[in-house]
Amino acid sequence: MSRAASRVARAGRAPYGAYAALSAIALVSLAPLVYMARVSFGVGGDLPIAPGDWFGRALTLDHYRDLWSGGPMARFALNSLVVTGIAVPIQILISAAAGHALARTRFVGKGVFLAIATAFLILPRQVTLIPLYLLLAWLGLLDTYPALILPHLADPFGVLFMAHYYQTMSPELEEAARTDGFAPSAIFWRIVLPLSGPGLAVVGVNGFLTTWNAFLHPLVLTTSESMRTLPVGLALFAQSEFRVDWGALLAGSTVATLPVLLAFAFFQRQIVEGILQGSGR
Amino acid sequence: MSGARGRPFLGIAPWGVFFAVFGLFPLAYAFVLSFLSLNPLRPDLVRWVGFANYERALASPSFWHALRTTAFFVVGTLPVTLTLAYGVAALLSRIRRGETFFRAAIFFPATLSMVVIALVFKSLYAEEGLLNGWLAAVGLPRVHWLQDPSLALPSIMLMDVWASVGYYAILILAARKTLPREQLEAARLEGLSPLTVERRIVLPHVRPVLLFVVLLNTIRSFQIFIEVFVLTRGGPLESTLTLVYHLYERAFYHFEMGYASALAYLLLILVGLVLLAQRRLIGRGAEAAP
Repeated sequence: MSRAASRVARAGRAPYGAYAALSAIALVSLAPLVYMARVSFGVGGDLPIAPGDWFGRALTLDHYRDLWSGGPMARFALNSLVVTGIAVPIQILISAAAGHALARTRFVGKGVFLAIATAFLILPRQVTLIPLYLLLAWLGLLDTYPALILPHLADPFGVLFMAHYYQTMSPELEEAARTDGFAPSAIFWRIVLPLSGPGLAVVGVNGFLTTWNAFLHPLVLTTSESMRTLPVGLALFAQSEFRVDWGALLAGSTVATLPVLLAFAFFQRQIVEGILQGSGR
Repeated sequence: MSGARGRPFLGIAPWGVFFAVFGLFPLAYAFVLSFLSLNPLRPDLVRWVGFANYERALASPSFWHALRTTAFFVVGTLPVTLTLAYGVAALLSRIRRGETFFRAAIFFPATLSMVVIALVFKSLYAEEGLLNGWLAAVGLPRVHWLQDPSLALPSIMLMDVWASVGYYAILILAARKTLPREQLEAARLEGLSPLTVERRIVLPHVRPVLLFVVLLNTIRSFQIFIEVFVLTRGGPLESTLTLVYHLYERAFYHFEMGYASALAYLLLILVGLVLLAQRRLIGRGAEAAP
């Protein structure tokens, strides 16, 4: 058998080595999360250590019951839901509107405008932290939902992504509608938006992940316990106690992870698409 | 197209207002703040100090210490993360069945909240935690992962590698997939070994993405905050003090908002320098290629 033929034969075989290596990496990748869930279902607040402890010990829903029975974690979860529930739909709408306008029209300074928005994507967001704090304090909005929502609406990723999306979408249908006498707003709501689903899914799921996982800004822009989001509440809860209640803490972490897992299960392709287009996540 | 003049602003306005007020204005305002001495609790004492904040930062041991921490972090994590991510992408492109599953399993951690990741690792690194339990089981002494000044930063770095390999693997994998299949088949039929194919065809093809990963990882290392906030609060003995954590402490514990703004602009300048250096590197690489 020639060398080339043997290579072809080898390529045809299942790459067992690759499967073994990938299995090991996937295990390392997921094990900490399985561990998190396991501790959250554990009795008491201590950590299972020996491999036997992982599966041998009793399971309980105590930590989740505590979460729901009006503890601070329930409030954190509610805050996170309110903030993402309001911020993400607005993000989607304003990104579609601005992206569409940028893609379909020419105006003086458009290039500069796009360059500034793009530069903002790479910019370390920490730079805006102190000014935002002072601005929201001056507006009397510190420690309110608007303080947690408004900064997310300035994110340029959705706009840039949608501008690109509309550039690749044929304007024929819109032009036909304009000839038929549709008003620009009607064209946007009734023709453009319904055709934007795939693009808006990318903006939505990436906006959700950024908002849901946000930490530094929500940490600084809230002062009272009742306004904390899940990440902020969890991080501060871990520090406040003399002896950490790991069961409660990792139950809260599991709750914070579930929506992300759901988003991942349904929108993995869109998350990857967003990353490839520079969502900066 | 002619009738569209003037109208784009209606579409851009809703987002544009948010971007101006909560994006561009804070960016400019931070620049002004960096020349002020400002404590929000004492608005009567605000005054212009010129470059004093910058001078103070550049003379401050904490600032340089935070930069050294970042440098150590980059040098320690980047080669490991890059190698693992490249390896994962290479492995994923070799298999046919099950690619979706393995890709999802390895990528998923990259979508998690860093707070959650840090809390899970805090439980693994705890004195009574899993890692020490395993060490004890094989008769080794306990390790103070986060309390030992020489170990705290490496422990955080290990976590960072775990959290980011999947992210970069996805980027590299996407670049690999743009390589025409015929080209690979042809190389194989010519009798080139898989390693040669990798070195002569795949590596040059994904090189821009690898450089992008280097850039992204470096920029992110300058911005590390959550990991330090949750795991060590900058300690022990400032061994995990990062620039952003330092900035946060100055601004929100000591209320030195002018000084902290100068730190923020120094961060901005540093990231800009990294970008410039990267651009130069790519430029030189492109010249050397043919």
